[in-house]
Amino acid sequence: MKISVYRYNPETDRQPRMQTYQVKTFQGMMLRDALLEVKKQDESFSFRHSCGEGVCGSDGVNANGRNVLACITPVTELKEPVQVRPFPGRPVIRDLVVDMTRFYEQYRAVKPYLVRKDPLPEQEILQSPQERDRLDGLYECILCGCCSTACPSFWWNPEKFHGPAALLQSWRFLADSRDQATEERLDALDGPYKLFRCHSIMNCVEVCPKGLNPTRAIGRIKELMLEKGL
Amino acid sequence: MSRQASGLMAWVVQRATSVYLAIFLTYLLVHFVFNAPAGHAALVNWVAHPVVALSLLLFVPVLLAHAWVGIRDVLIDYVHNLGLRLGLLTLVAFTFIASGLWGIKAIITAGLWG
Repeated sequence: MKISVYRYNPETDRQPRMQTYQVKTFQGMMLRDALLEVKKQDESFSFRHSCGEGVCGSDGVNANGRNVLACITPVTELKEPVQVRPFPGRPVIRDLVVDMTRFYEQYRAVKPYLVRKDPLPEQEILQSPQERDRLDGLYECILCGCCSTACPSFWWNPEKFHGPAALLQSWRFLADSRDQATEERLDALDGPYKLFRCHSIMNCVEVCPKGLNPTRAIGRIKELMLEKGL
Repeated sequence: MSRQASGLMAWVVQRATSVYLAIFLTYLLVHFVFNAPAGHAALVNWVAHPVVALSLLLFVPVLLAHAWVGIRDVLIDYVHNLGLRLGLLTLVAFTFIASGLWGIKAIITAGLWG
């Protein structure tokens, strides 16, 4: 199959370019395998990958205009010639490798951990099965960044808007019965930027390789804000 | 007072006004498609009806509030130069206030007093 990949080394190249390679396919071949094949043919080509089974979230790329995890995207699902580009909106370090610093900063900003004010108990803090169920569809996020880098609001304001991935995690801790910082979390999301740049475009839902729904989580945060604010 | 421009309130205003706009614009569309006033006199007569007049008077600020949140969102998203953004926001605000006042005056003078 024909695969065209984005090539750019900011240190030596004046302009990015697309370079085409011919790759032999096999049954069950994933896009990551094709990229590894390209790497075999041309070792100057760079991309991130690790686990190879959709768990680590390292090999997010934009294939034929859609953000995907290369390791769980069968090449048979992609129309030829396959065009593989880095995540949109992020500075390119080299080829398909982008700088995700802003993405992680936004994740850090939502305090993605349990905050307890009561003294910690000797044993674990128990949850009812219903309380635990509220975390389904939230905790599964692997922080690959497919959603946030597909979000136009995140493209325009990556330093101020938290983005879908971070907001999904924000709701994951707001929804957690063991967390005791609801007011602080909601206060921190106030203003027009961090949460309210979301215009429900829903690209995040469209591309999430784990089938999660950040738009719904963002809606829940807004509902909770209303409930506490009005 | 919060140091930040509003987030939650702007969102609530946008959602609440959209409900009124959806209902009233549907009414306007249906009315003008199936029962359009025959002439100026009929139009004035229609506007002078208390329910229509009140709905129209309410429509003006509701539409402008909705549009304000929308335009503000567009400018926050796309115009990153603070001076330019402030200038455009001011321009839009003045234009909205002027058109709102003019719209209300038209409904009152041409409709209710017409």
